[in-house]
Amino acid sequence: MLYKVMGRDVFKDFVKSLISDYEFIGPKKKDKAVHDFVPIKDISELDINYKRTTIPPAKKILFPPDEKLVTYEVNEKIKVRPLIESSEKVLFGINAWDINGMNFLDRFFVTDFIDENYLERRKKLIVIGMDSEPTETNFSPSMDSEYAKDGFDLYLTELKDRYFIRINTARGDEILKKYAVTEDALVKDFKDYNNYMDNYRKKFKLNVNIKDFYDNFELIYDDDEFWKRVAKNCYSCGSCNLACPTCFCFNVKDDIELNLKDGNKTREWDSCMLPEYGLVAGGLNFRPDKENRLKQRYRCKLKTFFDKFGRYACVGCGRCIEVCLAKINIADDINSIKKEVSV
Amino acid sequence: MSKPKVGIFGFTGCGGCQLEILNLEDQLLDLVSAVEIVHFTEAITEHSDNYEIALIEGSVTTEHDIERVKKIGDIAKIIVAVGSCAVNGGLNCLKNLYGVERAKELVYGDKKDWIDSIEVKPIDEYVRVDYYARGCPPNRLEIVDIIRSLIIGRKPEIPNYPVCVECKRNGNTCVYDFGITCLGPVTRAGCNSRCPSSGTGCESCRGLIDDPNINAQKDLLAEYGLTVEDIISQFNLYNACKKVIAKENKK
Repeated sequence: MLYKVMGRDVFKDFVKSLISDYEFIGPKKKDKAVHDFVPIKDISELDINYKRTTIPPAKKILFPPDEKLVTYEVNEKIKVRPLIESSEKVLFGINAWDINGMNFLDRFFVTDFIDENYLERRKKLIVIGMDSEPTETNFSPSMDSEYAKDGFDLYLTELKDRYFIRINTARGDEILKKYAVTEDALVKDFKDYNNYMDNYRKKFKLNVNIKDFYDNFELIYDDDEFWKRVAKNCYSCGSCNLACPTCFCFNVKDDIELNLKDGNKTREWDSCMLPEYGLVAGGLNFRPDKENRLKQRYRCKLKTFFDKFGRYACVGCGRCIEVCLAKINIADDINSIKKEVSV
Repeated sequence: MSKPKVGIFGFTGCGGCQLEILNLEDQLLDLVSAVEIVHFTEAITEHSDNYEIALIEGSVTTEHDIERVKKIGDIAKIIVAVGSCAVNGGLNCLKNLYGVERAKELVYGDKKDWIDSIEVKPIDEYVRVDYYARGCPPNRLEIVDIIRSLIIGRKPEIPNYPVCVECKRNGNTCVYDFGITCLGPVTRAGCNSRCPSSGTGCESCRGLIDDPNINAQKDLLAEYGLTVEDIISQFNLYNACKKVIAKENKK
C-alpha cells in the first residue's frame, strides 16, 4: 500500500479526465429514494454523497442479473460459442462494505470452480473507492467491513482540504500518476486520516454480536417455533437475496428460438428464499417451508462461509433490512439468538 | 416431424390476448413456421376441428360457452389457458360479486331476460388445463415460450415466485418507497414486473403465487392506510373467483 495526498482543487480535474478516458461507472441520483451506479458521461451527473444504492453496484457490474453464457446453433453439427462480455471500466465512488462484498464474490467465484465470465470482468474493473454515509440499518463495523483492506485500486478519503489516497495496485499508481498531481502522505496526513476514521466509525449506530450468533446458531437450528416466528411474515420474495452484495446463486436457462436451430443459455439471479429453489427432479422439495429457507439463508451467510473462507457472507450493508416489506431484520435476529437459547 | 396444429379460441373477454399474439411482430413468421394455425378467431377465416394444441382466452359466461369449451377439450391434446379471464376468471368475475340476476338487471333493466348469462368461471372449471399463460394482457413472450416448450417436449417454466424478484432484477426502486401500494409480493411473476417498472403498483392480474403470504400482505396494506374493504377490492379486481385461488393452492 502506498499513501498519497491530493488537493481538493485537483479532484475535479482528476475525475473529469477519468470520465473522458474510460468507461466510467459512478453513483447518480435515480429518484428521491435511491442512487444507482450507472455510466457517467459528465461530472455533473456524478453524486458522491449517496446514502443508498438500489441494488449492489459491484454485483450487478461483475455478475449481471441476466447474462448470456453460451449461444449455440443446431444443424448437422452443433456449434457452441461461449460468450464473455467484458470491457475495461472505472467503478468510482463505491464504498468499503460494497468492496468487501466484491471481495467475498471474488473468493466464491474462483474457489470450487473458476467463473471465467466473472473473473474477466473483475480483472478489467478499475475500482476507486470512497466512503459513503451509512444508513441506520448498516452494521458494517460489526462485520469488519466498514474499511476495505483490499479489492480496490485506489481509495480516496475526503479530509477537510485534501484527499488521503490509499494506493493498492500498480494499476492504481499509474492512473494516479497520469491524471493527478499528488504528494507523499506525511505524519500530519496520517493523523488527520486516523481522526477521520475514528469519527467515521462513530456514524454507524447499529451493532450486532456476530460471535454470539456464530457460537449459538447450532443450538437454535432445530427450534422450529423460533424460526416460524422469525419467518412469519416472510413473503418468500427473494428481495433480501437479490439486494445482497454477496449473494451469488444463479439459475441457468436454456432458450431455443422458434426456428429450433438457434439458442442460448442464460443465467439469471436466483434466490434461496423462493419455493422452487429446493425443488429437485421427481418433484421433491427439500426446503418446502419459508422458515426452513430463512434459517438456511442465515446459516449460509453467517456460518457456512465463515467455516469455509474465514469470512462471513454478509458485510452488514443493511440492504436486506431496507428492502424487506415483511420487516425481517437480520441484525435483530443475530442479536436475539443468544437470549433465545439461554431461556 | 410434422408441425403441430394449433387452434386459438376466444371466449368472454376483450380479445386483447389474441391481439397480443398478433403483436408478436418479430416472431410471428417463426411462429407460423413452427406450428400450423388452423383456427384463430381474430386473425383467420379458415377453420378446422383438427388440432392438437388449443390456446383459449376469455372466461366462460354463457351456456353456449360451456358447450364450446367442452368440445375444444374433447379435441385438443393440450390446452393452454391464455390471459387472466381464461386462467382465473379475470375482471369478469366482478359480476359474480353482485349475483348474476342483479348484474343482468343493473345492465339491461327490464330486458334482462333476453340475456343468456351465467356465473363467470375460468375455463379450468369445465376442461382440464395443462398450462397457464397468465396476465392481463398475458406476456406474449411467455406464450411463445410455452409453444416452444411444447414443440420440443419440455415443461414450460412459468414462475411461481412473486413480482418482487423481477423488480429487483430490473433494479426498480420499490413502489412502496413512494407510498404506492402493490400486490407484487403475493403475485406470480412472469410479466417482467411490468407495472412497478412503470412506477405503478401491481394489481395481481397474473393471480397469486401458490403459497402467498396473504396475512403479511394484509398487514402491509393496512400499514399504508387501506381499510379491509380497500384490501378486499384490491385482491378482487382480478381474483374475485376465489374458488380458483383455493383450488390452485392445492395443486
